[in-house]
Amino acid sequence: MAEVELSRESDIVRSLVELADVLTNDYDVVDLLTRVSDRCVSLLGISAAGVMLADPNGDLRLIASSSEAMRIVELFELQAKEGPCLDAFRTGERVAHENLHAGTGRWPRFATVALEAGFQAAFALPLRIRDTTIGALNLFSDGQVPMAEADVLVARAFADLATMTVLQQRAGSETQRINEQLTQALTSRIIIEQAKGVIFERAGIDMAESFARLRAYSRHHNTRLTDVARATIDGSIDPHAWTAAPATDRPTPTGPDHRNSPPSS
Amino acid sequence: MEPDRLAQILAELSSGGAESSARLCQAARDAVGMSGAGVMLMSGDLPAGSLCTSGEVSNLIEELQFTLGEGPCVDAHQKGRVVSEPDLADPQEPRWLAFTARAVPEGVRAIFGFPVTVGAARIGALNLYRDSPGPLSDAQHADALVMAQVIATWVLDVQGAAAPGMLADAIDHGGDFYFLVHNAAGAVSVQLDVSVTEALIRLRAYAFANNRSLLEVAQDVVARKLRF
Repeated sequence: MAEVELSRESDIVRSLVELADVLTNDYDVVDLLTRVSDRCVSLLGISAAGVMLADPNGDLRLIASSSEAMRIVELFELQAKEGPCLDAFRTGERVAHENLHAGTGRWPRFATVALEAGFQAAFALPLRIRDTTIGALNLFSDGQVPMAEADVLVARAFADLATMTVLQQRAGSETQRINEQLTQALTSRIIIEQAKGVIFERAGIDMAESFARLRAYSRHHNTRLTDVARATIDGSIDPHAWTAAPATDRPTPTGPDHRNSPPSS
Repeated sequence: MEPDRLAQILAELSSGGAESSARLCQAARDAVGMSGAGVMLMSGDLPAGSLCTSGEVSNLIEELQFTLGEGPCVDAHQKGRVVSEPDLADPQEPRWLAFTARAVPEGVRAIFGFPVTVGAARIGALNLYRDSPGPLSDAQHADALVMAQVIATWVLDVQGAAAPGMLADAIDHGGDFYFLVHNAAGAVSVQLDVSVTEALIRLRAYAFANNRSLLEVAQDVVARKLRF
């Protein structure tokens, strides 16, 4: 089978386009960041890559790793609170290639664990947009040769893409959440108005009085108003409940008993 | 519109705070230079109610779309794109037959629907009408897109600050969600012993067959002047 030899540049461009394309569709952030890690490994001549993101408290969490060995080293980095990823995140600056030597250097404990896992050098880029740093991209190598400057630029492009991915997803999910809440609030109001109409007709009272009865029922049965309204409409509350002696909106002497559990089970 | 004018309208809107949605539609009408504007909130694929209207005719446009389930807002929302009818009295493609029959005599000669969305969140649609036929200029089209964006952002900002499960006050008070129609649907569901969904269909059918507005019919039911 004839293999077409593609240049490395076109590989890189193709990867970026492919990842950007995912952004326009529904996507999962963890899945996408794992892909970014995998592409870094296949295109940059490094051994492993991983992405960490800050949680709402500002603490880094491991999100994606290209290998299990990488994952373990990164988890140790978080636990020991020292390492290239943490430095890149704290400073917002790239942490240049550093050859690791057990028990020494900038990160003595991290270096020991990383060397045991077979890594010789580390490099990290912040995931940053303007003044905000949201995480870091870690690149580990099993050799000691520094990455070429052209490769660093490619890594930068992947880091920027990862940053946009995360920010876009966060903005999108917040927007979706509020819009769903709006729809839910509207639906809930509509159901309550329909239930008022049902009680209005069954009990022969006006809308204001219907609402008072609905609310009284909700309080006495310690059930949410929307749930009472829904049960009113679908008839799962006995229709006679609305035509019987009207419940008042004030607590009755027996009121509190309704909240107690039945004496036996 | 001049960029300065648009900036001024946006500044006025933001200085007014978020107490009511009413000014949004006036701002949209003025920004685009039309006879009137209205914003329809959608629930799923159906109109849930009106966020605001700039006047009587826009009010009717909203109500007709709610009653009939058809019109430029409904299409703009469902199709996710701008919908234009530059000559409602002599349309290129006949659509919204019931809507058109009621809207044209009220002076609605050209009408446009713009989706009100933020990212994947589809909130509803903005409708703009003119009392004379003709397309929107490119500048008007661009201004309308900006206003749709402003409205979408306003809705999310205001609702985002509301208590969970509650409709934001500014939306609840400024808008019209035709609650009376839902009161009537509840009553009719008991009268006919059918579901409220079915009752709503019966109410709509009655209004249509008797050439009356759904709101008027609902009013009669709630006033106990009409039984099903």
